[in-house]
Amino acid sequence: MQNREHDRTVLELSHVTKLFGAFQAVNDLCFRVPRGSIYGFLGPNGAGKTTTIRMILDIIKPSSGEITVLGKRSALEVRQRLGYLPEEKGLYKKMKAWAIISYFAMLKGMSRRDSRKRACELLERYGLGAFAETKAEALSKGMGQKVQMLAAVAHDPEFVILDEPFSGLDPVNQQVMETLIRDMADRGQTVIFSTHVMQHAERLCDRILLIAKGRKIFDGTLPEARRAIPRRVRIETEDDIGQLRELPEVLAIFPNDGLARGGVSAPPCSHWEFQLRENADPQIILQACFTKGIRLRSFNQAEPSLHEVFVHLVGSDAAPPSNTMPNQRVCNQ
Amino acid sequence: MRTNCQRYADKAVRAPYRSWAKKRAVLPCSPMKNAFIIALREYSDNAKTKGFWIGLTFIPLLLFGSIQVPLWIEKKAAPIRHFVFVDQSGKFEQTVAARLDRAHDRRVREALNEYTVRYSKPNTVKHALTKIDLERIPAPNRRVDDFVGGLTGPEAERPAEDPGSREAQLLQLKPYLRENAPPFIEPKRIFHRVPLPKEITPDWDMPSLARELKPYLRGDKRITVDGQKVRLHAAILIPADVDQKIVRGASASGAPGLDAPKGIEYWSGNLADPQLRDEIERAVNGEVRRREALDRGLDVGAMRNVLQTHVPVVDLNPQKEAGQETVSLADRIRQWSPVAFVYLLWLAIFSIVQMLLNNTIEEKSNRLIEVLLSSVTPGELMMGKLMGISAIGLTLVGAWLLAMVGVLAWKSSPESELASQAFMVIRTSNLLPAFLIYFLLGYLLYAGIFLSIGSVCNSLKEAQSYMSVITMMMMAPLLTMMFIPRDPNGALATILSWIPIYTPFIMMNRAMADPPLFDLIGTLVLMLVSAGWVLWLAGKIFRIGILRTGQPPKLLEMLSWLRSDSTPRNGS
Repeated sequence: MQNREHDRTVLELSHVTKLFGAFQAVNDLCFRVPRGSIYGFLGPNGAGKTTTIRMILDIIKPSSGEITVLGKRSALEVRQRLGYLPEEKGLYKKMKAWAIISYFAMLKGMSRRDSRKRACELLERYGLGAFAETKAEALSKGMGQKVQMLAAVAHDPEFVILDEPFSGLDPVNQQVMETLIRDMADRGQTVIFSTHVMQHAERLCDRILLIAKGRKIFDGTLPEARRAIPRRVRIETEDDIGQLRELPEVLAIFPNDGLARGGVSAPPCSHWEFQLRENADPQIILQACFTKGIRLRSFNQAEPSLHEVFVHLVGSDAAPPSNTMPNQRVCNQ
Repeated sequence: MRTNCQRYADKAVRAPYRSWAKKRAVLPCSPMKNAFIIALREYSDNAKTKGFWIGLTFIPLLLFGSIQVPLWIEKKAAPIRHFVFVDQSGKFEQTVAARLDRAHDRRVREALNEYTVRYSKPNTVKHALTKIDLERIPAPNRRVDDFVGGLTGPEAERPAEDPGSREAQLLQLKPYLRENAPPFIEPKRIFHRVPLPKEITPDWDMPSLARELKPYLRGDKRITVDGQKVRLHAAILIPADVDQKIVRGASASGAPGLDAPKGIEYWSGNLADPQLRDEIERAVNGEVRRREALDRGLDVGAMRNVLQTHVPVVDLNPQKEAGQETVSLADRIRQWSPVAFVYLLWLAIFSIVQMLLNNTIEEKSNRLIEVLLSSVTPGELMMGKLMGISAIGLTLVGAWLLAMVGVLAWKSSPESELASQAFMVIRTSNLLPAFLIYFLLGYLLYAGIFLSIGSVCNSLKEAQSYMSVITMMMMAPLLTMMFIPRDPNGALATILSWIPIYTPFIMMNRAMADPPLFDLIGTLVLMLVSAGWVLWLAGKIFRIGILRTGQPPKLLEMLSWLRSDSTPRNGS
């Protein structure tokens, strides 16, 4: 039973805290990453993402708490099964692209022959075949970053940790990077990546972890994340909507026509956004409009974007995080 | 041409994705293997730099140059020099001509001697040399020669050899020569007397002659010789009243300077080459002395014998066995050659530890270190770097030593006494093994220091502040390098030998002076112990410093790391 649990979890952090002097970089962090998932690690700048990743890799030690990677207490014991792309990207300037990939693959235990073959395969597969023999100093920043990414995963690790893999890439290369991450997940590899760009996480992640100021704000699946903030409904009407304010499900109403307004009463606003209470059914608004004779030009049950979730949660991170932690039980075990 | 990579890639497109992870499971990954992979990368990365190749070739080229260039200059670079000779007194023309002939004759015979030694069949050199009449080459005893100053009249001179007898000599030599020996080429005559330009008449007064000849000597005008226009090297003007300008013993000590009488005027745009001037001075003064002696009724032959009388003074070395006390060129080389080795040692150690520093800082500044440390331990990384760079260093010094032995062996011939003696010294001494031992030990010690610096700095600029201190300390062996051979077992040398950071250089410096066994072994042990200790400390600093970002730590902070047992809880 315990073993199966281990098999399903590649990474588990429990009550991990990291102090730099008096500064608390990471504060009582708990989460776990299920095998085969793409796990987004989100947070504003300075949230403690990189520090957490370094602790996971056992490059630095936590001040307190426990980290279990692939069933081991230190990532160093299983480092051949890990892949890591650091936040700051750099390569050996004088080495050729294939040689860099092959070098890091060899350090992860591949034979020289295999590592060379693999480096060339990967470069070809991800559109860098023509640059295999190019020295790193002659590669563009984006290409260099792709090479480094390939170097991190060349040995086909079970568990890949990517720190800001998308930063500094153009949209085309961001797409390539997304493909690469999806490919790995398709092969059953577990991927954690950190980012502060929500769109990538939204497109890729099975689960996300949101941290700010070293604390966990949210941990769960995307639908859970969306439910974590109040539902919203957008309507467009010429009529007065004052009556809808009385509905118990409605938390607040904002004008939504893109103009700066003093308040609800300033006409002629026609677009409105309703914030609803948690678990409220948006159909209630539609029903109310119908019964109160408000003629709608449009009705839109908006799914909150991850960006909105992020801004909402991080903006209110002074609130006790437990309210928005459906996954808390992991920690309480 | 298709690269390896493209061929691999072609296969990859055909073959479906393979899981390397399964295959890898059977490959154990030992720490030494990782260190070896790192070492290999460090080696190939550094071996590709221009600096490495410049360092590798520069020293052998320098050595080759210092042996070969003097030979070239002597052989080929001596151009033909044209001069005009105006003797208004009419007394010296013959003497000077005879003297220059003899000088040329000597060069021809020296060349023939060399030719014989180089091209005779093995074991016949001695016989061959007798055929060219070696004993007739005057011994180059310059001191006596100068003193006599050519106190010889035409009648006392051996006439310059005529070409006919040279041909006869070559014919006699023939059976002793190897079959593929090239024909003997007589060296060209260096000094050629040319007639005055047509517009100048030899009986003008001296100032006019000088004035008219100046444009030729400056190169503004050319003189025509056999239809070719050539530059005039020198003009020798002897006035008609030269007899009145002879300085005799009593007045010789008279004040020189402006009032000093001008005797013979030697005009030349090239005063760096005194050969012609010396020959003429000797010839003329010899003749003057001969006439003076005749005028006073002295026996010229007896005088010459008197002047050639001398007691030889020999340089002796008390450290040599009886019978071998003579201080030879080999002894001088023996005394001073360690200086060259100290310099090489210094160059080698500091150029490669600099590489170590640069590479460490490169990895640190672009955060490659994080990827490395997610794959290997800091210990493996450090070990790999140490091994890789030491291999670079061994390649460097190996190439230097091989080139040195090669060049000296190739060039050691009677032509270059320096090369042959130096080769002999290197063959018969323990300079080379000492060099290798001190190189390795010195490298390990300094590598520890530089790795520590590299691991705590994020850029070369930050490293500068540490480097300036180290550089100053490093200068000591270079500054004392020239003094130590004068007193190789003195107080300065002994004290410096016992300071581990100086041990390799100073002991190398003393290597040829048979330092006391106590010093030799004691310093070696101390050096070993301290290199090990420094590396151990460096390991601690490296582990902690390598992941540090931000300002380099204060010295006190680094000392506190040494007390901690492992990775820090604080500091990222």
